[in-house]
Amino acid sequence: MAVSLVVGTPKGAAVLQSKDGKTWSEDFVLRGWPVTASVRDDKGRTYAAVNSPNFGVALFASDNLKDWKQLESAPRYRPEDRGNPEHHRLVAKFDFEGKLKDGGRFVDQIWTLHNARGALYAGVSEAGLFVSKDRGESWEPIDGFNEMPGRAEWQPGFGGLGAHTILTDAKNPNRMWAGVSAAGFFRTDDGGKNWTRKDKDVHGFGGNCVHHVAHDPDDANVLFRQEHFGVYRSDDGGDNWRVLEDGLPVTDMSDGHRCSFGFAMAMDRKAKAVFAVPLDGDAQRFPRDGQLAVYRNADGKRWEPLTKGLPGNCFAGVLRGAMSADQQSGVYFATTSGALYASGNLGESWNEIATGLPRVMSVDAYVQ
Amino acid sequence: MSVRVQLPPLLRGLMQGERWLEAEGNSIGAMLADLGKRNPSLALHIFDEQGAIRHNIAFIHGDEIVRAKQAAAHPLKPGDEIVMTTALAGG
Repeated sequence: MAVSLVVGTPKGAAVLQSKDGKTWSEDFVLRGWPVTASVRDDKGRTYAAVNSPNFGVALFASDNLKDWKQLESAPRYRPEDRGNPEHHRLVAKFDFEGKLKDGGRFVDQIWTLHNARGALYAGVSEAGLFVSKDRGESWEPIDGFNEMPGRAEWQPGFGGLGAHTILTDAKNPNRMWAGVSAAGFFRTDDGGKNWTRKDKDVHGFGGNCVHHVAHDPDDANVLFRQEHFGVYRSDDGGDNWRVLEDGLPVTDMSDGHRCSFGFAMAMDRKAKAVFAVPLDGDAQRFPRDGQLAVYRNADGKRWEPLTKGLPGNCFAGVLRGAMSADQQSGVYFATTSGALYASGNLGESWNEIATGLPRVMSVDAYVQ
Repeated sequence: MSVRVQLPPLLRGLMQGERWLEAEGNSIGAMLADLGKRNPSLALHIFDEQGAIRHNIAFIHGDEIVRAKQAAAHPLKPGDEIVMTTALAGG
């Protein structure tokens, strides 16, 4: 079984490939372009999102992970779309010529790409969703989400107002979820026309700073959620949530709430195992005492730490997009200090398969 | 009226490594519009959602540095050569 990893960094994408899960080849593509997300479609084409602070957002596509061609279209707001004042305030330091003072809305990053039912979806900041039904040749805004009442009051997370998580239901084409930092977690049941916030009983203030959500599209209503303030589980598609932190390290957060903290979350659908990388609170944002650890929840109840092969002197973080499961017992994640780890046995043991990478923003695993 | 524009290194990769491109226009704005029409993948990187030149792009025209905000109306003559670059940022 051959596995390919596309690892997004601010300086390009590392592409690692292995036929046996032990030895890996490494290439570095899209050099100079910050790569923020990737996805593979049903026909085997891989798409990578780039965002240059100078040259904006675009998508590249490749059929072999070596030769990349930029698509001529990318998610873009309409000229008349109005932006969120708080997001503008956060990104204003890059606004050298006062562009944002005009109040426009701009796509400044593609946070996630998602493939479902023959369509590609993009979640972007300033927060919004776009869909392409022609392999990225054209993109349409999902207006039901992008023009949702109340978006002017959404508060951005530290990284901006970003739609970073998209989930779909394999059995219900009208149902879809999207997570926005720090506005909350939203669900549509009518194919994207109307969206409802699904944050009941999840700790937050004002909005909810959802960091990432994992699920199995074939069992879509069971959701595992890494929130700024803790880890939660829902069994009813997000209508209700309960804390799922038994076994996780918890600490006092900035507002005094005691809970677990982290960003990344991934799921192996066959094993029904969920993986998280807890960081020691929102003040430190690195593994407790420097011991890098992946936590696995294999029974839907309790988390267990997995550290075999992981360093005890890691004072870096793991970002929300930087962990992926290949659905064949392979789990992969990378740190903000550029170390990439692989496990072929659901996290029982880990190997460092790349080091010296720039800050890793995304890791996506594809099985040939 | 034809002018030549030198692309910044990152964008040359979209043009098979070409350093210089020719375009028509009697101003930087007109020249970029023509360049984008011929090369839609370049247009994404030059113009933002509102059709304005991305604010971090700058141009060198002879001895003059032209920032994005002034670039659209900046006049060009036939045979002029323009260097497209980015405003310096960082330390």
